Amino acid sequence: MATIARPTRGVGIRGPNIASADVQLPAVESYEQVDREIIATLGFTKKWFMGLSVSVAAMLIGASAWIYQIYWGLGQAGYEPPVMWGNYIITFVFWVGIGHAGTLISAILFLFRAGFRTSIYRAAEAMTVFAVMTAGLFPIIHIGRPWKFFWLLPYPNWRLLFPNFKSPLVWDVFAISTYLTISTTFLYIGLIPDIAVLRDKETNPTRKRILAVLSLGWRNSDREWRHFAKAYLFLAAFSTPLVLSVHSVVSFDFAMALTPGWHASIFPPYFVAGAIFSGFAMVWTIAIPMRKWFKLEHYITLNHLDATAKVVLFTSLVVGCAYMIEFFIAWYSGVRAEQEFFWNRVFGQWWWAAWIMLLCNMALPMSLWSQKLRRNPTWLFILSLFINLGMWFERFVIVVPSLSHEFEPWQWGGYTPSWIDMSFLIGSFGWFFMWFLLFVKQLPVMAIAELKEIVAPRVKHGHNGGHH
Amino acid sequence: MQGVVAAFHEIDTTCAAIEDLKKKRLGDVTVYSPTIRHELEHAIDAPQSIVRRFTLIGGLLGVSFGYWVAIWSSNYWPLVVGGKAIASWIPYTIIGFEMMVLVGALSTVAGMFINSRIPRLTSTAGYDTRFSGGYFGIFVACDGAKAGQAEELLRQHGAVEVRREA
Amino acid sequence: MSTEAGTGVKRRDFLKILGATGATTAVVGCSSEKVGKLIPYVVNPDNTVPGVSQYYATTCRECATACGVMAEVREGRPIKLDGNPEHPLSRGAICSTGLSALQGLYNPDRYRSPMVRQGNALTPITWDKAYELLAQKIGEVKSRGQAGSVVFINQHESGTFPGFLDQWLSAQGMPAHLSVDPLAPTATLAANQKAYGAAWPDLDFGAAKLIVSFGADFLDGWGHNVPQQLQWADARAKLEGAPRLVYVGARRSLTGLNADQWIAAKPGSDMAICAALTGQGTMAAASDSSGVSVAVLEALAKAIAEAGSGVMAICGVTTADAVDCGVMVAEINKRAGSVGTTIKPASAHGGYAGLSSYAEVITSMKKMADGSVPLAFVRGANPAHTTPKSAGSFAEAFAKVGFKVSFSSMPDETAQLSDLILPDNHWLESWGDAVSTVGQLGLQQPTLDPVFDTKSTGDVLLELAKKDQAIAASYNVADYRTWYISKYPGGAPAFTTALTKATVSVSPLVTATPRTLSVTAAAPAAGSGDFYVHVFPSPTLGDGRGANKPWLQELPDPVSKIAWQSWVEIHPSTAKKLGVKEGSHLTVETAGGSVTAPAYIYMGVRPDTVAIALGQGHTAYGRFAQNVGVNAFDLVVNGWDASGALALNGSLAKVTVLVDSSPLVTTEGSARQHGRGIGQAMTLAALLGQEAEDDHGHHPIPGMPSQDFRSGLKAPVAADAQGEFADPMSKDKGMYDADHVQKMEKRRWAMTIDLARCTGCSACVTACYSENNIPTVGAPYQGRALSPVKWDENPGANIIKGREMAWIRLERYYEGNENSENEFSSDFDTRFVPMMCQHCGNAPCEPVCPVYATYHSPDGLNVQVYNRCVGTRYCSNNCPYKVRYFNWFGYGEPERRQYAWPDPMHWALNPDVTVRGKGVMEKCTFCVQRIREAEHRARAEGREVKPDEFTVACAQACPSRAIVFGDAADENWTVSKLAYDRRAYHVFEELNTYTAVVYLKKVNYPAPALPAQA
Repeated sequence: MATIARPTRGVGIRGPNIASADVQLPAVESYEQVDREIIATLGFTKKWFMGLSVSVAAMLIGASAWIYQIYWGLGQAGYEPPVMWGNYIITFVFWVGIGHAGTLISAILFLFRAGFRTSIYRAAEAMTVFAVMTAGLFPIIHIGRPWKFFWLLPYPNWRLLFPNFKSPLVWDVFAISTYLTISTTFLYIGLIPDIAVLRDKETNPTRKRILAVLSLGWRNSDREWRHFAKAYLFLAAFSTPLVLSVHSVVSFDFAMALTPGWHASIFPPYFVAGAIFSGFAMVWTIAIPMRKWFKLEHYITLNHLDATAKVVLFTSLVVGCAYMIEFFIAWYSGVRAEQEFFWNRVFGQWWWAAWIMLLCNMALPMSLWSQKLRRNPTWLFILSLFINLGMWFERFVIVVPSLSHEFEPWQWGGYTPSWIDMSFLIGSFGWFFMWFLLFVKQLPVMAIAELKEIVAPRVKHGHNGGHH
Repeated sequence: MQGVVAAFHEIDTTCAAIEDLKKKRLGDVTVYSPTIRHELEHAIDAPQSIVRRFTLIGGLLGVSFGYWVAIWSSNYWPLVVGGKAIASWIPYTIIGFEMMVLVGALSTVAGMFINSRIPRLTSTAGYDTRFSGGYFGIFVACDGAKAGQAEELLRQHGAVEVRREA
Repeated sequence: MSTEAGTGVKRRDFLKILGATGATTAVVGCSSEKVGKLIPYVVNPDNTVPGVSQYYATTCRECATACGVMAEVREGRPIKLDGNPEHPLSRGAICSTGLSALQGLYNPDRYRSPMVRQGNALTPITWDKAYELLAQKIGEVKSRGQAGSVVFINQHESGTFPGFLDQWLSAQGMPAHLSVDPLAPTATLAANQKAYGAAWPDLDFGAAKLIVSFGADFLDGWGHNVPQQLQWADARAKLEGAPRLVYVGARRSLTGLNADQWIAAKPGSDMAICAALTGQGTMAAASDSSGVSVAVLEALAKAIAEAGSGVMAICGVTTADAVDCGVMVAEINKRAGSVGTTIKPASAHGGYAGLSSYAEVITSMKKMADGSVPLAFVRGANPAHTTPKSAGSFAEAFAKVGFKVSFSSMPDETAQLSDLILPDNHWLESWGDAVSTVGQLGLQQPTLDPVFDTKSTGDVLLELAKKDQAIAASYNVADYRTWYISKYPGGAPAFTTALTKATVSVSPLVTATPRTLSVTAAAPAAGSGDFYVHVFPSPTLGDGRGANKPWLQELPDPVSKIAWQSWVEIHPSTAKKLGVKEGSHLTVETAGGSVTAPAYIYMGVRPDTVAIALGQGHTAYGRFAQNVGVNAFDLVVNGWDASGALALNGSLAKVTVLVDSSPLVTTEGSARQHGRGIGQAMTLAALLGQEAEDDHGHHPIPGMPSQDFRSGLKAPVAADAQGEFADPMSKDKGMYDADHVQKMEKRRWAMTIDLARCTGCSACVTACYSENNIPTVGAPYQGRALSPVKWDENPGANIIKGREMAWIRLERYYEGNENSENEFSSDFDTRFVPMMCQHCGNAPCEPVCPVYATYHSPDGLNVQVYNRCVGTRYCSNNCPYKVRYFNWFGYGEPERRQYAWPDPMHWALNPDVTVRGKGVMEKCTFCVQRIREAEHRARAEGREVKPDEFTVACAQACPSRAIVFGDAADENWTVSKLAYDRRAYHVFEELNTYTAVVYLKKVNYPAPALPAQA
């Protein structure tokens, strides 16, 4: 919050490549307009119900697959030793990655005073929370005895038997659960003033009461705002390294192993970049239709999309660079196992997966060098779908080919996901969108209070609300 | 609680009113605004928030707990894995870090709640639902005598509406 | 004994599902483990202590070798078979087939009572009714005076029973029985008899300098498997003075792969080669017919000449001229003067005595077809499966028999055709004996009460005799046992004492009617086609008798590494020509018939030959055998050699490539080791220091360990735990403390595997299955769901998915001959590497486990805690050796369709070893149960564990004594000496894992018959 974007004098759209720091909303005149237009998005619609029922159905497919799998055993999934990790871990990393954009936008861009965050960060944060909720399920789905997953938590027990803190998986447990807690808190704290707005506009007494409770009796008083601003700043300060740490820790799951293709020190930065990359793609996938259906084009303007496109372009370059470095190191290391593995990954057994990855994550995003395309929502939406696909395959390429082609040639193998795996993939999307759709109709998808910071307040005497 | 509440439509008038009230010392002033404005902050010019102390202490507690639980539990039940030190502190840094973030962040939130006196479910005297919308509000806590003056002053500054809270 | 309680489990499963799917996971599902009832003895049987094994010496009856075995019996049930160390031939070793006898004993598909045919179905009856019925039938036959044409087909046995049987038959006025063994090297026996005057002279590999084997797979099924392997391995272990082996044949069998040189002669050309070698034919002629260059043949002749009396030429060919060929081969020995040195007629084996030939079976089959056989008995043998179609349908002939009686205890093809079934006891349930070396008798005693309502045929015959006034008097004994002891020299006391060793110098108590081989060879029709077909007995399943035992089905063929399947071997170059890919279906058609099976591309077979193994293709014989693979007997063209033995080979075949294909059920990933130095070898010269050792093909990963790897063996578990890189935080080192009461930290359990000895026979694998309750996963009913409604019911479906559970696997890597798909070369090296958990000092699997389910014990074991494992499978991902195996299904849960031990097979489970639950990781434990047992016994007896006091299952079984286990931290154990052998190395040493398994490099010898380079 603490004024990240100052109200600027003079109206009229600036040139397209304005510094993102003061992206502004020329079409938004007054506080009342903000309230009106954002609250207007909350009404239920037929389309929404249809979307929700589709998501719930998909979620149920996943749930029943899980019951089936727990009864029969993991053998129902497509695992093919030595490929002991498959679709579940791939999808886990995929969702964790997506879960990064939200906090990046709300925390890091906040610290960097990047103004274009204002109108997208709420949706992105919600996306983060739900993505991490989805991701969190997969390690449990993936383990052989899910009913024993709590053994990974350091809970006091009479044998005082604790998890092995040297294991990257335990780091994961800490990183993911911390991340979920913090991003949820962050989301909620940001929501408090907006819930207060809803409360004050609400007429239905029951809903009013509920909102009153949720808003914790927020009154917009100067004292509240003062501490709020500070708290928000520190939360952002904590979340920033957290975001970077979480995907680094996830990358340790691989980098800490000596498996060829995993055992690489480049993984943490590479994974973080990939996460942001895929996160922004998912933001597009969600925000571009949303701005249209909710008639919020003048809140998420082309300038916003342009700015996010630049982030995507940058992270795409980082990721591409990481791919290249992997190949180089494989050759440079002189480790034959490593070299043969990479050959097999790119030109052998797994060429198709590798090339889908390279096409979607390296080649297509290069289109964003063109300003026309950066400012073309349709293209960005299509591109976002490709990037999501590409990033899923990036994780596939990391997990499967490495395990299928290790040190011991006698144990080289393959992998084909089964119908059970696919049910879980479908289920995960169902689960995610179910939560998101429920969210968008209950709570504002844009930070009302923060938008008001950008909007110029009314003034009596001449000079337009500028501050001293 | 007794006092006078006024609703303003413009920010500059609000600021002027605040500064004036402070000069007049009619009573504690509470300012309501739909969002954060520098102008108001300047006008009110309140002391630095102490939330950051909660953050610091929470963070320190968190990191030390993280290290402690990892090292203590390893030593309590020594099991050698992969020929590594039974309590190998380097990887435990990750645990320490995550705990620091967790505890630190949560205590920050706690600090904010405590300092800004929320959650509150009590009466919202002196508050008006417009203050979350398009209006700025000022509440002066004072009794009968001063209340008149306060009303007067607020009206001068162009309050859209002035109400006396009993 | 623990019996599962069904209901409780069901409830738990339900809660599990509920728990894990719902939010309540943490609350419920606290126990996924089985609920067990312990039923204590009310009155302890004599000398039975619950939890303590008893060992009964008996004699293995799975093949004619008659090795001595010890049955480990726990609470009245045999749970494992080990070799009997006292036995002169097997010396404590045992083969896969022998080990698997348990699964014949506990086979769920055995007849559980006598059966009689009513309409088309067999229905149970009581023994009394069965006796009456049969007595009546016999009476009828006799009264009609047809007793003379009764046929009794018995599985071949040596020892006393055949004599007993013949006596009984003659008493009934019936002709002597036929003693049938489709696998017996009948031709060789005849030839030997002719040449040496002994049917099976002892082969002294120790005395041999040069062994020339004409298709004799003496390491894997030909003759006396285990003793031959022991001798061979000991001889080869001499390294410098080791015998060299030349293998002549169209297909490189396991023995061929162990040979120093393979001479790929056309099928049926052995005769010509021998002729040339014995100067009775020209080299040129031999070269023409065999397709082997004159130079090589001359070199071979030269090598033979040099070897002098150290030559051992043996013949295992199965063509129509087999007998003459055998005689020729013997001629080579005679000329070399090696008869008496390497070939010892003086000490002959008697296991094959009294064998009848295939020709005789066909003759009596013809009689049946004429309908002139009123009554036929079949026992053990399964002619309905082992008779080639080209000889006419056995089933049809058998159907014409008046009354058909089967003593088979398995519902095999023949038994299913019979009218009356009097199930015989398994040999582990019965009294008896068998001949090993002539004059040596292996005694056989029951190790438990019959599992089902079966009776030993001896007792049955006695009962029947008693029902016949005419002969009742002469059979006035309670049962076969009493009869046996009454005949035994010295009677009961002598017998009882003899039982403790189970090997005595006694001849069979009564002798069978001598048989005279009077057949003339009838060569099979050569047929037409551009391929020779090479049919060979499966090393694991034999002629098909092993197919009902999941251990044998699951055990990959030692050469092709294929399980639960039939395959056609075809050379890479031929495959390329015909556009055949691995697994494409080939139809092989001979004059005899045709079979269709997936192709296995194998460079050890001549380009003009296709090879296919016998053993599969059962139409009955229980759930594990039925409808698995194809029956290669269908290919065999009816015809026999001078000994009357079925001529398996010598006919041509057409091969057609079908469009469809199916994945091979193989455990092989890559057949090449890509220079990873897994199976390393060194030349003899290098060993002797005559040439520098070249690390050919081994590319170590940069950053070799600074320390000498053996320190990993010596050094107690983890340097850090010892305070070497002392960890200031850790005060209490627990059990890792050198002064800890248990002193575990003083030991370092380790293993050496001598690749110069290992023949790749895979007995260790089966031994491990037996000792460690490893589930078999390949049965047709064990597959996964392909859709909510359809299950994958292909045999070996799980193995195609790489989910086999073999804690120890036998890797077979090829070296050289990279260009095999363009040109044929007989010159390539094979490395057999037994690979199991290496129990690394710095184990990569350990630190990654989030719950300490795997950690390092102070005595150097890499421990797996099943009930702590949650199944993240990270350990397996991080294991460079890929020796960790995951329980994808509830293989141990009776109510799951994947259950691996259908009742009563679970009786063979080792009570000392947990049956792993669904969703946990498992791996080789170095038989930790045996380690602890030894330690506890030592402590109970107030002493230290003696060096080499005990060993692990694989090492105990190993017929080539390649595996040695022990405490490497104590130099009194053999293992700690071997670990410092000049040939010692660790696999993936450069990964700094400090493995506890030390391999000794294979030693490669120059090809004996190498034509001198110009």
